[in-house]
Amino acid sequence: MPDATELRKNTAPWWGLLFALGAIGCNVAFFMSPPLQGALPWLSVLCAVLALVFLAAGLRRAFGQAHVYRGKVLSVVLTVIALFPLGLTAFAFVKARELPSSTAAPQVGQRVPDFTLSDTTGKPVSLDQLLAPAASASTSQSQAQAPKAVLLIFYRGYW
Amino acid sequence: MEKRLAEFQAAGVRPVAISVDAPEVSRDLANKAGYTFPILSDPDAAVIRRYHLLHAGGGPDQNDIARPAEFLVDSSKMVRWSNFTEDVRVRARADEMLAAAKQLR
Repeated sequence: MPDATELRKNTAPWWGLLFALGAIGCNVAFFMSPPLQGALPWLSVLCAVLALVFLAAGLRRAFGQAHVYRGKVLSVVLTVIALFPLGLTAFAFVKARELPSSTAAPQVGQRVPDFTLSDTTGKPVSLDQLLAPAASASTSQSQAQAPKAVLLIFYRGYW
Repeated sequence: MEKRLAEFQAAGVRPVAISVDAPEVSRDLANKAGYTFPILSDPDAAVIRRYHLLHAGGGPDQNDIARPAEFLVDSSKMVRWSNFTEDVRVRARADEMLAAAKQLR
């Protein structure tokens, strides 16, 4: 029976945990609005897949090649720990992309519907008013002429 | 958004945010974030529905909310640019919106 100290270190589970943390780290990175933000969801998937590959390799080495590699307990413990960030990553990925297709929404070249909605002071504001010159010159930033366009930003709310 | 507001105004574009949040909630948001552009309230999602942007049950209490979307609408009310994110974590960046705004004639 080989002495435990002669067995090779099993680093794969550590890489697995690192990538699992990387996957969840991608989700944190969203808040910092990095330039390639659009790639972050897929980067988190890549990290998660790599994590699973390394964790599986770690377990295979510890148990399947127990005469070469050590770390039976460690590989199991690290795998279990890594499953939490991996689970969170998968959950976040699915939830964040559960969006309706909105194919009937106004397309480029189509006219948008009119509306009148209350602003933060409760005053009704219409699309026509938004497209018209600013009514009052209350600040130095107000526009004397009508805007070329309005940028309608529909957001989820519930801040 | 607020940081680039001057750039949008220079490009002749007036940003307007719309959600189901009540005016008081939006006012808090505007105060905390320092937003000076209009934030409009669509509490029963009527306008959101009119724009076909409804995300039924998408809110924290399964309330109806808007799916995120941005439209650049010119003075004839025509859409000149739009953005529909596939992932709520990926927000339209001010750069993209400014680039679209600058292309308007």
